Amino acid sequence: MSTPATPHVPAAQGCTITNLHKSYGDVEVLKGISVDVKPGEVVCLIGPSGSGKSTLLRCINLLEEPNDGTITVAGFDATDPDVQLDEMRAHVGMVFQSFNLFPHMSALDNCSIAQRRVLGRSRDEADATSREHLEQVGLAELADRYPDQLSGGQQQRVAIARALSMQPSLMLFDEPTSALDPETVGDVLGVMRQLAKAGMTMVVVTHEMGFARDVADRVLFMDGGLLVEQGPAREVIGNPQHERTQSFLARVLHPDGTVDG
Amino acid sequence: MAMSPRKRAQTSRIVQYAILIVAAAAAAFVTDWQTVGEKFFNPTVALQQFPGVVTTALKNTIIYTALGFVLALALGLLLALMKISSVGPYRWLATLYIEFFRGVPALLVFIAFGYAVPFAFGIRLDTYVTVMLSLGIVASAYIAETLRAGLQAVPKGQYEAARSLGMSHTRAMISIVIPQAIRIILPPLTNEIIMMTKDSSLIYLLGLTASQYELAKFGREAISSPEAGLTPLVIAGAAYLVITVPLGILARRFESRTAKLSRP
Repeated sequence: MSTPATPHVPAAQGCTITNLHKSYGDVEVLKGISVDVKPGEVVCLIGPSGSGKSTLLRCINLLEEPNDGTITVAGFDATDPDVQLDEMRAHVGMVFQSFNLFPHMSALDNCSIAQRRVLGRSRDEADATSREHLEQVGLAELADRYPDQLSGGQQQRVAIARALSMQPSLMLFDEPTSALDPETVGDVLGVMRQLAKAGMTMVVVTHEMGFARDVADRVLFMDGGLLVEQGPAREVIGNPQHERTQSFLARVLHPDGTVDG
Repeated sequence: MAMSPRKRAQTSRIVQYAILIVAAAAAAFVTDWQTVGEKFFNPTVALQQFPGVVTTALKNTIIYTALGFVLALALGLLLALMKISSVGPYRWLATLYIEFFRGVPALLVFIAFGYAVPFAFGIRLDTYVTVMLSLGIVASAYIAETLRAGLQAVPKGQYEAARSLGMSHTRAMISIVIPQAIRIILPPLTNEIIMMTKDSSLIYLLGLTASQYELAKFGREAISSPEAGLTPLVIAGAAYLVITVPLGILARRFESRTAKLSRP
């Protein structure tokens, strides 16, 4: 990967979640979660599948509607029924596990379409911004390629560039490397490290414990719809206090049952 | 003697071809070609069909089908959007409409708009309006299902990605979902036009003036004189093929293009 240009984050903002509840029918997925993410902070959400971490992330930009609780994000009261939802989402970048690039558009157009249709930028202005961010993720040369001509890792980096092109003040990552071939995971994590270093507020659902330990300011461990344990990354991953955190980390870090000595 | 499977397949193929050739030869032998030529392929009668079969009948078939299709597409899109709407009554209404018009014979709908509706309301519908309504309303029920399937075939993540970038529901549909759905929809939609071209023959029910005849009616009128034989119907049938075969080729081309685009 070519050396990325130094990214700049215009105005990182935080997000405050208070007593969040979410149910699907009779199943309660989030049972009262409160989290405060400070501007520029990198928070990793870890936990077993079904623990509610992706749901929590998707509640932040209201892709899932919470049943109870409040969320303020990027200066918007997300749970206010009168919130300007589209305007709020334009300030909150999101990266999905399955990339969700628009297959009928080139990488460049993927990055430009929302700038033009949502922010009202001209094509030239939007394309210039897009190229800048494609350069930042190391894909300037592949701007004219279509998603099906790109590897998984490249697609995910385009997806990151697409989100950055809206100049968000906060980024959400929903298991961004879970669908990738092992050899392309590093490129995506590299881009995310750069972004974290540049001061972007990031909330990352991930199973990459190495990334969480090195990059996150704080790690939250979720299980059964509850926030079980949180703290500085090295402490939670290196020295978990709660029994459920310990058994989860043991399984993730040593899947074959071995313990390194 | 034991035969290898490949040898056996080859023998079986040869036998099948042999039966086919014998059957064709027998049919050719017993057929009275003289009569067939006279009744079905009489060149004098065939020539008499021109230019009317093209300038009136073929033209009208295309016009009726096009009118019906425009209405069917507009109604179908509305119904498809209602069918995937989160508003319950919209979904129920759309389902009711679709099930009704897919369930009743098209012939009944033509009779309804041709006779029953004008009679009941004491109005006189223009022939073109009647045709557009009957053809369009029946086809819209089928097209609605085609469009709905196409819209739902676009992965949900596409819509979510668009919304997460700040696009409104309408913008996300226009810029992201519908363009992808169109590629999925084009082949079945082309087949739908082929069906409509043939369904337009039901117009024979309506009291048409000669200048309003479409292919089927044109052919039926022409065979009413005893000396014409069935040649006019053969010509009319061939004229349908002039429309439907190229459409069929087009549909297959769309299909192969869609297959290429959706490669992983």
